[in-house]
Amino acid sequence: MVKIKLFGVLKTMVPGGKDLEVVLSEGGQVRDLVHFIQNEYPQVGELLDKKKVLVSVNQEIAHWDTVLEEADEIALLPPFAGGSCDAWANGRVKFNGG
Amino acid sequence: MAVELGEGMLVRVQQENFSIDAELERVRSRSRRIGGIAMFLGTARDRSKGRDVSSMSFEHYEGMAQKKLQEIREQALRDFDIIEALVLHRYGPIEIGENIVLIIVGAEHRADAFKACQWCIDELKKITPIWKMETTPQGEVWVEEHP
Repeated sequence: MVKIKLFGVLKTMVPGGKDLEVVLSEGGQVRDLVHFIQNEYPQVGELLDKKKVLVSVNQEIAHWDTVLEEADEIALLPPFAGGSCDAWANGRVKFNGG
Repeated sequence: MAVELGEGMLVRVQQENFSIDAELERVRSRSRRIGGIAMFLGTARDRSKGRDVSSMSFEHYEGMAQKKLQEIREQALRDFDIIEALVLHRYGPIEIGENIVLIIVGAEHRADAFKACQWCIDELKKITPIWKMETTPQGEVWVEEHP
C-alpha cells in the first residue's frame, strides 16, 4: 500500500478530498499508479494524460518507470501557482517517460 | 536592528508576514562587499484574469517547497556574480495588499543583482510546489498559471 498526497485543485476531484491509498504489486511503477488513477479518478487521470499533473516520489519529479516502494513519499502535483503551461511542458519540471 | 543571521534564515516558507527591513538587513549584513541590492516583492492583488479577488490562500508541499527554494538560492549563487540571496514565500490565508513572496539579492554591482533577482523569481514560479486559491464572486478558484 502506498499513500499519495494530493494538492490544490486535485483535492476537489477526489471524493472526500483526502490523500489516496493504493495497493500496488511488488515492483509496481509510477505508470501502474497512473493507470490506477486513470481508472478510479478519470478527472485526475485526464490531467495526468495531459501532463498537467506530475507525480513526485520522495520530493522529486518521477519518471514513469520509477519503481515504487511502500516507504516512498508520493504526491500528485497540479500546475504550480506561478508556472505557465509552457514552463510545465518544457522546463525543468518535465514529466519524463510515459 | 537585531535580526537573526545565518544561512538557515535565508530560505523560508512561512505563514507569518515578514519585515522587509529585517530581511534586507539579513542580506546586507552577510558581507561588507555588497554594493548593490535588488529586491522583488510579490503582493496580493485584488484582480486576476478579469475576476475580482477578495482574498487568497496558498498551499505548499511541506519539505519539497523548502527544498526547491534552497536549490534556487544555491543555483543563483553558483550561476551569477552575487554575494547573497534570500528567498521567502508565505503560505496560508493572505489578504489583499499583503506580502506573498520576497527575493533579495546582494552583489558587488547592480547589474548582477538585478539579473539574479529576476532569475530567482522566474525560477521560483516554475519549480516550487506552491498553489494559490483565490476567493472570487464566483467562488473559490485554484489558480493554474500565472506567467
